[in-house]
Amino acid sequence: MARRTFPRRNNAPSGGTCAPVFARTIKEPGYLQTLRPSRSRGSNELRKIFLQTSIIPSASGSAYLEIPSSSPASKSTLIPPTSSLKITASVQGPKPLPRSVPFSPSLLLTTTVKFAPFATRHRRGYIRDSIERDLGVHLETALRGVIIGERWPKSGVEVVITILEGDEDGWWGDSGNDGSVNRGGWGLLNVLAGCITVASAAITDAGIDCVDVVCGGVAALTRDPAARDKKELVRILDPCPAEHKEIVAACAVGYLASRDEITEIWMKGDVGADPNALVEGATHAAVGSLAVVKEVLLEALQAKFQGPMEGNESGLKRKAQDVEMTG
Amino acid sequence: MPPGGFSRTRNVDYDDDDAYDDEDDYSEEGEGGDGMTEHDKEQMRVGTTRVRQGLGELSEFTSDAQIQEALWHYYYDVDKSVVYLKNKLGTTEPKQEAPKKEKATSRFDQAASVADQKAPTTTGKQTHPQSSWLEESAYRVAYLSPPPISMPTNEAIGDFFWDVPWGNVPLHRLGVITLDTPRYRGGLLGGSSKLAALAAKRRKDREEAEAAATKANSEANAAVAMLDKLTVKSKEPTSNLRGGDTERPSRARYPGRRRSRSRSPPPEAIDEAILKPAVQQPAIVCELPAQRAKASMFASTLCGGSSTAARRPFPTLEVFPAPYTIYKEYDSAKAFASPSPDDIKKRVQGEKLAQSVEKLAVADEPKVKSKNLNVVQEFEKSGLKRMANFVVVGHVDHGKSTLMGRLLYDLKVIDQRSIDKLRKEAENIGKSSFALAWVMDETSEERSRGVTVDIATNYFETDKTRFTILDAPGHKDFIPNMISGASQADFPVLVIDASTNSFESGLKGQTKEHILIARSMGMQHIIVAVNKMDTVSWSKARFDDITKRMTAFLTEASFLEKRITFIPLAGLTGENVVKKIESSAAHWYTGETLLEALERVELPKRNLQKALRLSVADVFRGDMRSPLSISGRIDSGTVQVGDTILALPANETATIKAIEVQDAPVDWAVAGQIPTLHLTDIDPIHLRQGDMVCAPNAPVKLVKAFTSKLLAFEHVLPMPVEVFRSTLNSPGGIRTLSARLNKFTGEIVKKKPRIVKPGEVARVVVQLERELPIEEGMRVVLRERGRTVGAGLMENVA
Ligand SMILES: Nc1nc2c(ncn2[C@@H]2O[C@H](COP(=O)(O)OP(=O)(O)OP(=O)(O)O)[C@@H](O)[C@H]2O)c(=O)[nH]1
Ligand SMILES: [Mg+2]
Repeated sequence: MARRTFPRRNNAPSGGTCAPVFARTIKEPGYLQTLRPSRSRGSNELRKIFLQTSIIPSASGSAYLEIPSSSPASKSTLIPPTSSLKITASVQGPKPLPRSVPFSPSLLLTTTVKFAPFATRHRRGYIRDSIERDLGVHLETALRGVIIGERWPKSGVEVVITILEGDEDGWWGDSGNDGSVNRGGWGLLNVLAGCITVASAAITDAGIDCVDVVCGGVAALTRDPAARDKKELVRILDPCPAEHKEIVAACAVGYLASRDEITEIWMKGDVGADPNALVEGATHAAVGSLAVVKEVLLEALQAKFQGPMEGNESGLKRKAQDVEMTG
Repeated sequence: MPPGGFSRTRNVDYDDDDAYDDEDDYSEEGEGGDGMTEHDKEQMRVGTTRVRQGLGELSEFTSDAQIQEALWHYYYDVDKSVVYLKNKLGTTEPKQEAPKKEKATSRFDQAASVADQKAPTTTGKQTHPQSSWLEESAYRVAYLSPPPISMPTNEAIGDFFWDVPWGNVPLHRLGVITLDTPRYRGGLLGGSSKLAALAAKRRKDREEAEAAATKANSEANAAVAMLDKLTVKSKEPTSNLRGGDTERPSRARYPGRRRSRSRSPPPEAIDEAILKPAVQQPAIVCELPAQRAKASMFASTLCGGSSTAARRPFPTLEVFPAPYTIYKEYDSAKAFASPSPDDIKKRVQGEKLAQSVEKLAVADEPKVKSKNLNVVQEFEKSGLKRMANFVVVGHVDHGKSTLMGRLLYDLKVIDQRSIDKLRKEAENIGKSSFALAWVMDETSEERSRGVTVDIATNYFETDKTRFTILDAPGHKDFIPNMISGASQADFPVLVIDASTNSFESGLKGQTKEHILIARSMGMQHIIVAVNKMDTVSWSKARFDDITKRMTAFLTEASFLEKRITFIPLAGLTGENVVKKIESSAAHWYTGETLLEALERVELPKRNLQKALRLSVADVFRGDMRSPLSISGRIDSGTVQVGDTILALPANETATIKAIEVQDAPVDWAVAGQIPTLHLTDIDPIHLRQGDMVCAPNAPVKLVKAFTSKLLAFEHVLPMPVEVFRSTLNSPGGIRTLSARLNKFTGEIVKKKPRIVKPGEVARVVVQLERELPIEEGMRVVLRERGRTVGAGLMENVA
């Protein structure tokens, strides 16, 4: 990842963004392995999700999503065992297209995905690199079919995603000295799923008409460390790459639960004979995260109309629910 | 602020996009509008009779309207209409069902309609899904909103947001969606009324077809099967997406929705349905839905407040008092009554500071020293050769570039090796006949297309004269470039393709326009090179014919006959260009070669004594040493290194750092030359192609309207035109036609004519939208929609 530097910035030192590796990990061979996180939740259990909408007042819609680290922080080292995904999304528009743009009968969607420079253990550049552009394209496919674009001819909407902390591709201890883990980019799938979910929440927050609330989910096939023969593969939902020594395949989807439709799919690795199982797992994960999205959106809506609506609370509540459900 | 987002953005962002009017684009659509042209009506009439013949006895049962409608849909195809009408009458269905184009229904729609059919439908006429979907204009959110607050004006935006909190925006700050009828009604956007009518018709047809759903063909079934495959798991009915009151075709495959709708009895019950959406099983039930996490430290900082439920209502701030204002001392202090400590200090140091600042002046970079030459004397002393600039004009592909390439090659300006190289390259892309043209056409686009795009400049020298060639593009799209080239030239060389038809097509096209432009620039001599004589085997008859017709045309454009020179030649083979022709077929021609003619041309007088006037033909940024350079012909006056010049219309001065003429550095340049001036002390944004450079002590005035003697090429009325002075141009208009003049004496023939015919001369008042630097005696070209309507000589400011 060639990093370009800006001449007019005080560029941060290149290299990692995390605490350095301490001598003890090198001196005591066994010690490092004791720090390895492992998955404590069930194979179908998702990580907890924090979601909040309307965090940016100047945007027409915005949302923040965080998937906190599920492994407990270690007492003996400063380095967090796993990363925790943190993504913000803001929606600008719909607003009229500039005159220079040719006529468009429906809403023009642009998606921009950017990692913050400190989002991963290896420092990112300020200019979007190919990975970020790729994520942007994936996200656009996930969202395009969901938005009812015909209602805004001649206008555009911009979905801007900033990844404040990305999921890593593996455990830091498995990597070289520089702290960067480059094992097939499993973390990107989680990032994409997160992007889809948070973008969808932000779009709903912006009040743009959609056919459904699209949600992202990830499933993976991993080698079971318990099984000795090393042949056994287990399917897990919402993998945290740092918790698994070896991920064989993974898949991220953008899924419309109530219509049972997939808008985006990204598969990686050796899927084996039955890719459908993996896709299905990912859709399950998406439905799982939808639960949180729905709850949060409902709450946000209720909070918004709490004041003036106190009189006839119950009836309106149902109405509000109705609106939000239909997304 | 969900739904408010849009309206707010609109309010906010409009300041730079003021006249945004989405109204008129859609106002037309949907109304039928009888937009039939005469032609259509005629076709319709003929078609109707023919269809009646085709229908035979059935004809009696068919109304004219039906036939016409069928014709309309089949684009007047009689056979198809007959077949359609027969089918229709055969089924004896009273209901009108117009022909349906296969293409109009997508596979998806077909699939949907098949699904519709499967579903137990009891609904009557179903409105078109798309339109009903859109007609439902209200967001239900709107009911819930508090009374709308008025939006601030643009200037107040900053103030409006100043105390808006980060998240948790108080309710009274939220935007409100008001009920607008949506403008998009599913018609063709901005379409003509006829197209809209057609679309509306198609739509209606499709609805009916869908309702009937009689076309369950195998293809549609396949499409359904495909859709099924696409779904991951089951096809159980899913939740009712917009509360059950709208329907889309794509969702028609969930029968549950449809049933719930058809059952719902009148008003109140529907309301019920809205409030209680049928609880439906989603396709995938997740056993372990994700848990909500508590806000992490970071999240709570970012979003403010841990959980949404526990949010305290936001206190609304009316004014924000500074904390110290509550103290008594604050009122009595009068903090700003006496001068501030800064003021006191400044007053003490004031004098000294000013002095020291003066001393601080940065040493100016060494100014360009002027040698203060008397350029006119220098010029006479130098005994320079005659300098001539000519522009090569003519219709596209008549061989201008080839001829010039040949001229340079035969004069050994281009050596054999470069020509060989060009030949090979040209052969490689299969354009070997263009090898010589590539001497002039240097950009890759010009080469690959075989068309000159921009003016190419080249030089050569004979014993008596130094020539500058300006090779103009012949294509009509690049006329502005040709004008820029012509404005730098002393006389034109018109290249005419002698081969059959080419000459004639040129005469209608750019041969004519180029001549008119050249003439309007004040050029009086013209050399007509009758090119490609080899293709007509040096036929004297052809040459004479062309000569006769061109002479007639040129004299009409007020070239004097004695100043026109015709030369038969062939650029590709080089006969009569530099060397005289030897072929016996051309023994009849004993006149001069092109080169001889060029040397013989009388040049206009150079106005060395007048004030400097230079029109900028090109602006380029060079290297570090000469960051900004311009080139262009000096129309009058002289320049030397160190001179200050004034660039118009920017009205900025610059200093000349160095001068180059024909790629060699010199100390001065005089009228008639096309120098490159390297400038300093000016921002590049002030200089543009077509600008006027003049002496600061005798500047050209910027004018907004002027009277001009106009030679009309087309019919001229008071009308909007584009006014070109060299390449500098501005939209404008002919305001009044003051008088028609005698072409030769200039006397007034008729006052206030209503129209000026092509070839006539008139005095007109030209109004400009932008000011242009124009002074008496300058030439302007008036163009309208890509055609040159006339050429003018500026007389005085109006
Ligand atoms: N037979 C024959 N062909 C010629 C002659 N002169 C030019 N051509 C051909 O005419 C074609 C066009 O030549 P160009 O020189 O590119 O024409 P042009 O007038 O410069 O065209 P534009 O700059 O695009 O207006 C080429 O294929 C030449 O080979 C000639 O004297 N005889
Ligand atoms: Mg050419």
